[in-house]
Amino acid sequence: MPDLTRNGMQCNEFDSLLSDAIDGILSGATLDRFQAHARTCNTCGALLAEAEAGRGWLKGLTEVEPPAGLVANILASTTGVDTQRLWTPAHAPQPRVSWWEQVQASYLEPFWAVVRQPRFAMSFGMAFFAISVSLAALGVKPDIAWAYITHPVNFRHTYYNTQARVVRYVDNMRPFLEVQAALHSIKRTAPAEPGPDKQKERKNDTTQQPEQKQDRNYSQAGNQLILAGDPLGPSVNDLPVVSVTTYRRFV
Amino acid sequence: MTESSGEQQVEDVQVVAMLVRRCIAGDSVAWEEIVQTYNRRIYNICYRFAGSADDAQDLTQEVFIKMYRTLSSYDHTKGAFVTWVTTITRNLLVDHFRKTKQDRMTDSIDSTASDHEDAQPLSEQIPDQSAPPDTHVRQREVSETVHQALGKLSPELREAVILRDLHDFDYREIATVLKVPEGTVKSRINRGRAELARLLQRTYRQVM
Repeated sequence: MPDLTRNGMQCNEFDSLLSDAIDGILSGATLDRFQAHARTCNTCGALLAEAEAGRGWLKGLTEVEPPAGLVANILASTTGVDTQRLWTPAHAPQPRVSWWEQVQASYLEPFWAVVRQPRFAMSFGMAFFAISVSLAALGVKPDIAWAYITHPVNFRHTYYNTQARVVRYVDNMRPFLEVQAALHSIKRTAPAEPGPDKQKERKNDTTQQPEQKQDRNYSQAGNQLILAGDPLGPSVNDLPVVSVTTYRRFV
Repeated sequence: MTESSGEQQVEDVQVVAMLVRRCIAGDSVAWEEIVQTYNRRIYNICYRFAGSADDAQDLTQEVFIKMYRTLSSYDHTKGAFVTWVTTITRNLLVDHFRKTKQDRMTDSIDSTASDHEDAQPLSEQIPDQSAPPDTHVRQREVSETVHQALGKLSPELREAVILRDLHDFDYREIATVLKVPEGTVKSRINRGRAELARLLQRTYRQVM
């Protein structure tokens, strides 16, 4: 803006008073000088006209309505509170939601959303396969298991049946057990003699060495751990002498 | 700002200060009240500055998230709550503008308003003024044109005229929000208004 003086006012001063003039708070001599300058200075006059026009355009703009779910989204993202009620006007009748739908919305849907992800699908598939194989190996049949889950009284029936089977088994076995006990008591009263099998084995033994003793020695020599720094270990003199023969290879 | 009596303003300040204290203490009802009170104003500032409803919604949520996190830093003795909120909004808008600066640099008044290739430029979207079919529709179209022209202003001029002419902030409050002297605020408002008028005159001249 050129710094010209017209009607006792410079363009810089006009510029500084422009806002006040548009706001309508200029008065008296200042307003007269301002208006006189606007009339004589083309640049400042155009600026005043444009500024007034621009203000008029802006004042014509009306407020826009925020989206319906904005407040609910803000509250959910800040406090984490589910504010579904804010999506609908307060006077609107709230739809009745059953407990099953609430459970579904609160627990099942999020779980199902996770399960449906491809990265988890393979893991769940493998887990299902492993459980199926394990149950099949254990002899658990799905229909029987389902019968137990749906009718818990089956557990009591199974318990009584199993108890009766055990009692019957013990009753059936009682005569045999009594005979076996009698035979044992007869054996205990008879004198102990070496068995013929033992003597036969000794006859076939041509080494005349005490087998068990030799085994024990070998096992002791072979299994004993020798530590280099162990003062309680065998000394150098106790170790067996090993002759080493080197076979050279002539090429 | 709203022209109310001194007593009313003091009462408002106390009410807001009480609300803020309740929020900090964990009262979700108080926070909801603050959101209900200020969401419209913040959304409109964001909408006028960013230009798109989707961006405005995202930015408004960001403003409230930031408010929620920094609510304890508000000091009612240093200024009005609405000024503090507007300052947060303005800072986020500046960040948003910097992120999308490249896109805006390539825009012009005659550029397409949308990403569609067949979309008409702004000057061609002005309907024939000779026989407006409906006043309401006509008014809406003019508003849309002014809104688009507002988006062509530089961010410094745009934020100044938005706060002054659309939200009735006084110069001192705008100076606080923009962190510039009051004289600079007045100058930006005048230049912004004049630039907007020139843009719209050019647009309508092309149509006429």
